[in-house]
Amino acid sequence: MSVGSKVFFLFLIVVLLGYHLLRGRPAKYTFLLAASWAFYAICSPYYLWVLLLLTVVDFVVAKKIDAETDERRRKRWLVVSVVSNLGLLFAFKYTAFVWDSGSALVTLFGGDVPPRAWDILLPLGISFHTFQGISYTVDVYRRQIRAVTNLRDYALFVAFFPQMAAGPIVRAVEFLPQMVTPPVPSAEQIRDGIFLFARGLFKKLVIADQLDQLFVSAVFNDPAAFSPVACRWAVLAWAVQIYCDFSGYTDIALGTAKWFGFELPANFHLPYLATSITDFWRRWHLSLSTWLRDYLYFPLGGSRGSTGRTYFNLMAIFVLCGLWHGATWAWLVYGVYNGVLMSVHRAMGSPGRLRSSAAWRMLAWTATFAQLLLGLILIRMTTWADGGTMLAAICGVTDGVRGVPAVVPLLVLLGMAGHGWELLCERLPALKADWEPLRVANAAVSLAAVVVFSPGVGKTFLYIQF
Amino acid sequence: MLSNLLRRLRGPLLVLFALVALDLAVLATARTWDRHSPDDYAARVETCRQRRPDAVFVGGSVVSEGIVPREIVGANWQGEPLASAYALGLPGGTTSEFFHAVKAACQPPPRLLVYGITASDLNDSRHEPHGPASLMTFGDAVEWAKTRPDSRAWVLRQYALARASRVSSLWQYRHGIRMWAALQFDESTESAREAKELRRYSDALRGEDGYAPAAGFVEQRYDHVKATNGTLPPFAFLNKYKTGSHRTYLHKLICWAGDNAVSLVLVDMPVTEDLEKQYPEAFAEYRKLLAEEEAAHGLLVIRAHRDIVGITDAGFADTIHLNGVGATVLSRWLKAKLDEIGRPATLDDNRVRAQAGGDRP
Repeated sequence: MSVGSKVFFLFLIVVLLGYHLLRGRPAKYTFLLAASWAFYAICSPYYLWVLLLLTVVDFVVAKKIDAETDERRRKRWLVVSVVSNLGLLFAFKYTAFVWDSGSALVTLFGGDVPPRAWDILLPLGISFHTFQGISYTVDVYRRQIRAVTNLRDYALFVAFFPQMAAGPIVRAVEFLPQMVTPPVPSAEQIRDGIFLFARGLFKKLVIADQLDQLFVSAVFNDPAAFSPVACRWAVLAWAVQIYCDFSGYTDIALGTAKWFGFELPANFHLPYLATSITDFWRRWHLSLSTWLRDYLYFPLGGSRGSTGRTYFNLMAIFVLCGLWHGATWAWLVYGVYNGVLMSVHRAMGSPGRLRSSAAWRMLAWTATFAQLLLGLILIRMTTWADGGTMLAAICGVTDGVRGVPAVVPLLVLLGMAGHGWELLCERLPALKADWEPLRVANAAVSLAAVVVFSPGVGKTFLYIQF
Repeated sequence: MLSNLLRRLRGPLLVLFALVALDLAVLATARTWDRHSPDDYAARVETCRQRRPDAVFVGGSVVSEGIVPREIVGANWQGEPLASAYALGLPGGTTSEFFHAVKAACQPPPRLLVYGITASDLNDSRHEPHGPASLMTFGDAVEWAKTRPDSRAWVLRQYALARASRVSSLWQYRHGIRMWAALQFDESTESAREAKELRRYSDALRGEDGYAPAAGFVEQRYDHVKATNGTLPPFAFLNKYKTGSHRTYLHKLICWAGDNAVSLVLVDMPVTEDLEKQYPEAFAEYRKLLAEEEAAHGLLVIRAHRDIVGITDAGFADTIHLNGVGATVLSRWLKAKLDEIGRPATLDDNRVRAQAGGDRP
C-alpha cells in the first residue's frame, strides 16, 4: 500500500471514521496506533519488529534517563538508545554497501571475492523513525522534555502513519504536547488539510510521476541516445520531479495529519529560489537539516571552534547527510560535494552591500541553481560516464526545446509555478493567497487533474526508498 | 449540531461541489472525449441501432477486420437486395458478447444476421471484461451469474466496476481527455500518434458501415511477417481450449433470431493454415461443435475456408486476421454466396445442402 494509492484512500477513510467516531483519549490513540502499525505491517511485513523493538528501547531508555540523576549513567543510557537506533539503521542500510566496497578493495589488490548473492530489504521509514527516536532520547537527556510515561503515546509518536514512511522527521517536543488531549480538527485544519492533500497528490501524480514516465527515466537511462537539449531538459525535469515527489509526500502527510487534528512541521520553503547553497539547506528538507544541525553539528562544536574544526564539522554533517539518503558512492560523493560547497561559501564570506542588489541576487541564484543541478545529476546518473554526458549537456548554451516533448517544459513550468506563486504571495500580501474561492478552485482542479492525468500505476515516493 | 458540522466541513464540501461542477462540464462535452478514446463496443452498438441496417455482420476481430459491408450491400436476400449493412465486429469478444450486442443493437431486427464465427469465440477459458462493462444490462449480468457459476464473481465484479466508473465523468472519460490533450500539445509524440489513430478509429466506428480495421492490419501481409520474423507467435485466445458455457449463448442467439424472424447465417471465417496446425485440437473440437449445432438447429453455415474463397497468406495480416485485400476478397465472395443461397426458391435447398456439408472444403 503506497501513499496516494487507491488502497491508501480506503485505509485513510476507514481510519478517519474510526478515529473520529471513537470517544475518549485512550480509545482514539489506541485505534490510531493500531492503524499505524497495520499500515507499517502492510507496507513492510517482515519488519514490524524493528519498529516495535526501537519503540520499546527508546521508551525505556528515556524513562531511565529521566529518572537518573547521575550524569555518567544518564549518558550510558543515551548511548544505549543511539547505538540501538544507529546499529539497526547501519545493519539494514549499510551492510551491503560496506561489503561491496570491501570486496572491490580486495579485488583491487588481487584478491578474489565472489559476487554478493544476497540483498537486504530496507524496513519502511527506518531512516526517519530512528532519527525521531534519537532526537527524543537526546531531548530527554538534555532535559528539554520529560520522558513520556505512557508507552502507547510514545509508540504513536513514532509510528504515526501519515509521516512515518518519509517524514517530516518530527521532534517529540513538536508532537507530544499536541497529544495531551485528543486534538479535535478545527474547520481551518479540515479545509487546509484538503488543500494540502490535493496539492500533494497533484505534485506527485501529475507532475513528478508524469515527468519520470514521459522523459526523465528514458533520458537518464541512456543519455547518449538523446540530444544535448533533451539531456538539459531532463536534468531540469529531474530537479522538478524530485522536488514535487518529496514535497508532494510532505503535503499529503501534513494534510492527513491535520484531519486527525495534528500539526506537523513544514519541510520546504521555496528551495529552488535559494541564492546560496547554505540558503538551499535552510529551505530543503528542513526537518533533516535542522536535525543534523541540532543533534550533530552543534554537539561537534558547530562554528565555535577553530576554522579547521568548523570546516571539518561541515564536511562531517554533509557526508552523513549524503549517506543518510542512500548507501552508494554516488550519495557519498553528493555529501562531499555539498560539504565542499558549504565550506567554500563559508570561506567566501559575506559580499556586503552587493548582497542587496538585484543583479547580485540573480547571479547568486543562477550559480546556486547550477550547483544544485550538478548535485542532482550525481544522485540520478546510472553510471559515471552517463553522468559526464549529462554534465556536458547542461554546460552547453540553451537551444530552446527542440526535440523535447512539449508536455515536459509545461510540467516543469507547472512545478516551478508553485514557487513563483508563493513568492508573489509573500511579497504582495494584497494578493490574498488564502482567498477561499481561489483555494477551492485550485484544490478541485488539482484533484480533477489527478483523476485524469495520473499514471495508472503509482510509483513509490522517492524518499520512501531512503 | 448539524450547522456546527456543516461549518466544520465547509472546506471539503466546497471542494466537492467544485469537483461536481467540473464533472458536469466534462459530461457536457463527453462527445469530444469519447471521440478521442471510444468505447468501441458501445459505439458499434449505438451506431448500428441508429443505422437500422438490412444486414448485420456480428463477430469478433475476424469480422471487424475481415468483413467490408459496403462490398456486400446489394446482395439479394429473399428476393430483395440488401440496401444497407453494418459490421458489428467486437474485437476480443466471445459468443456471449455477440449475443448481448445483437440484442442491444438490432432494434428493430435486421432482415439478415450474419455471424462470422471462429474457434476462439467459443473458448470457455477466456472472458472479455468489455462485455459486462459495455453490453450487459443488470438482468444480463444476473442471468450470467445464475447460469455460469464458475464465472459468477467475475461477471458481477466487472459489471459493478463498470457502473461505478460511470459515477464520475472525469474518471470515465479520463483517457479521452488525455488523448485530446496529447493532440493539443505536441503532434509529434507517441501519445499524439495514438490519439490520432483512436480518433480515426472512432470516426470509422461511427461511419457508414462500421468497417474500422486496425491501422497496421490493412497493409500488413502475413507472408511477409512470416518471412521476416520466422517463428509463429502463439495465439493466446485459443490456449486451454474448451467449449461449453459460451455455446449456450450461441443457442440464445439462435432463439433470438427465431423469435424476431431474422435469417441467421453462420460464416466459418477463414484462418491461416499455420494457425490450424498450431491448434489442431481446438479447431477439431470447434468444427465438431459447429457441425452438431448445424444438425441440431438446422443452421445455415457457410464454410468460408481460405482455399474455397481463394485467400492465401498474402491476404492475411497475421495468423487469423485478414488484411485489406483479403477482407475485400472475402466480402465479394460472401456477397456472391449470399446472392446464391438467398434466393427464395433455393433457400431451403441451400440449407439442406449446407447441412449435408456441401460447402465443406
